[in-house]
Amino acid sequence: MAMITNRRREVAVAMTLIAPFVLTFVLVFLYPTIRMIELSFTDAPLIGTGEWVGLANFKRLLTDNLFYTSLKNNGYFVLLTVVPTTALALAIAMMITRLKGPLQALILALFFLPYILPVSVVTQIWTWMLDFQFGVLQPVFAFFTGKPVPVFKNPYWVMPTVATVTIWWTNGFNVLLFIAGLRNISSDYYEAAALDGATRWQLFTKVTWPLLWPVTALVLTLQLILQLKIFDQIYLLSSGGPFNSSYVLLLMVYREAFQLNHGGYASAIALVLFVLIVVVSVLQFQLLRAGGNKQ
Amino acid sequence: MKYLKTLLAAGAMSLASLPAFAQQDITWWDFLSGGDGVRMKALIERFNEEHPDIKINATTLEWGVPYYTKVRTSVAVGQGPDVMTYHLSRMPLGLEENVLDVISDDDLATAGLSKDDFFPAAIAAASDAEGNLHAVPFDIHSIVLYINKSYFKGSRFLDDEGNLTGIESLADFEEALALAKENGSETPVSYATADDGSTYRVFFTLLKQQGGELITDGEVLAGDNLDKAANAIEIMTNWHKQGWQPEQAEYPASVALFTSGKSAFHMNGVWEVPTLVDMSSKGTLGFDWGAVQIPTLLGTTATWADSHAFAIPTGKEMSPEKRAAVMTAIGWMEKNSISWASAGHIPAYKPVATSDEFGQMEPNATYSSLADTAVYDPRSPIAGVASPVYDATINIISPAMHGYLEPAQAAQQVKDELQSKIQ
Repeated sequence: MAMITNRRREVAVAMTLIAPFVLTFVLVFLYPTIRMIELSFTDAPLIGTGEWVGLANFKRLLTDNLFYTSLKNNGYFVLLTVVPTTALALAIAMMITRLKGPLQALILALFFLPYILPVSVVTQIWTWMLDFQFGVLQPVFAFFTGKPVPVFKNPYWVMPTVATVTIWWTNGFNVLLFIAGLRNISSDYYEAAALDGATRWQLFTKVTWPLLWPVTALVLTLQLILQLKIFDQIYLLSSGGPFNSSYVLLLMVYREAFQLNHGGYASAIALVLFVLIVVVSVLQFQLLRAGGNKQ
Repeated sequence: MKYLKTLLAAGAMSLASLPAFAQQDITWWDFLSGGDGVRMKALIERFNEEHPDIKINATTLEWGVPYYTKVRTSVAVGQGPDVMTYHLSRMPLGLEENVLDVISDDDLATAGLSKDDFFPAAIAAASDAEGNLHAVPFDIHSIVLYINKSYFKGSRFLDDEGNLTGIESLADFEEALALAKENGSETPVSYATADDGSTYRVFFTLLKQQGGELITDGEVLAGDNLDKAANAIEIMTNWHKQGWQPEQAEYPASVALFTSGKSAFHMNGVWEVPTLVDMSSKGTLGFDWGAVQIPTLLGTTATWADSHAFAIPTGKEMSPEKRAAVMTAIGWMEKNSISWASAGHIPAYKPVATSDEFGQMEPNATYSSLADTAVYDPRSPIAGVASPVYDATINIISPAMHGYLEPAQAAQQVKDELQSKIQ
């Protein structure tokens, strides 16, 4: 009997402890999400209620060319960022772990610095550096291509440039995760392998890579989610142009909702993006885990 | 003792005067920065000094999408201002969003105004389909052609008094551009070729000068309007190819190209007039300048134009006294709009626009004739300031004229993109 009372009390205590989180979660995430799903089946404006229109918004989305363009651009951006930033972060982390003491801390801080900047500062810095008339990087472009390149106004340059800026900005966090992962690998493995005559490359492929895989999978998944949600940099650097070559799904949501007052349609796009991110990231994480287990 | 007496007397007086000093606080939002902002702040200050019983508390917000997004969201929850500035080109979307209260004839009477005091085009643009007024027009502003006369000395383009003459067609204008280039002008016609608003205003002017329409009955670039749009883009592309217009110029750069004497012409809004007036009077400009209506290049006389207006948000529970105070402020602004005209604008209030004082104000008087042939943006929720039309300009027209797409394809793409935005 006393046993049961204690259990009840424990449950009560646990509930009280998680209540603040659960309440906040319901209030600022669950409720808005449910409302968004509701909205996506109506023709509501940005504020206020609308008529129930069933699947009309989704049907319209399937015939909207801009939706496919945006989807394609989202995919292109993911290709340009996720794997490159992960590989780069791994390389930087491996170099930093070789350093010792204050120098290591200094270099790590330097790589981490861009990450603490707000996005508007990041885009401002790069807008100046890449300015068509006065940018300090334009002589570099002029050297290779023969003339300055208006990077955010050129349909072929815009996405790779935004991707580069994004990698520069967010790479520090990935480096940090990799360093944590590398420090978790016991030096015993390396010593044992070295005694058996393993080369540098073998040390990496047979010890570091497999033991680091959980971290790599985590970084890849986090990056995938993050880069699918691309918006700020595009909005601030290229506004989706030229010729929609940098138009992405969240920009479409923003324009439909805040510029055109189509709350219902914007919600439908947001819902599709939400489902897309959930499906793709779960799929990717499972695939990566399976890949890791094989090794 | 004497001090105490004074204090007591002052206390008694302030008590006695309390009811009379039921001061009305007005919350005012605008998007006016730069020269416009300075002039508006001066006007508000003067108003507050002259009206001890009314106090305008003004906040300036960021022009464009941020401003109009904030207006819509705050009005929806009843937290909007008491009075705000609004672009007439934005009226269709404002009416659709239902953020603009009706301004009745009685309201106008409180302000000492009537509809007949304004240009009919401005009143029409400020009204809904039923003819109810939703905003009080304040000015008409358009683009004009700024001239650096030093490039045309001794040519057929300046008359004996040093005024621009002899530009009656596109061929004339391009001849002048070629001449200026020969005379050492780096970019003979500067406008912000990498900026949505500036490029749109030039494009729309060229389209209208061919008698073209952007949107007719919910159809974008219907019939031969598509060819006219392609032709307008073709003209701008040619200016680029010939090296007559600057490549990828942002707004400040386009102004600097003119003020530093590198451009013979500058196409921009009247709001840059104060910049040139100030530089000229300080002696830092270094050349003789002028500003005229955009010449008729393509058969029809037309210039893009828009208006600033005052509007009262819906859903505000406003006491009659406060509403009267708001209307008093609007009326006072209209009657003192000669100060606003010094920012280059043409007053929408006819008694000021036709006054001798305005008639002598230069260069406004030279180009004020454009008010008769000014063309507003099409009346559509997708047109106007910070609209999809502006987006399509920066997304398609600007890169196309820089050589990334053929004019005809660009016009088709503008049509398709904008058509898809009309629900």
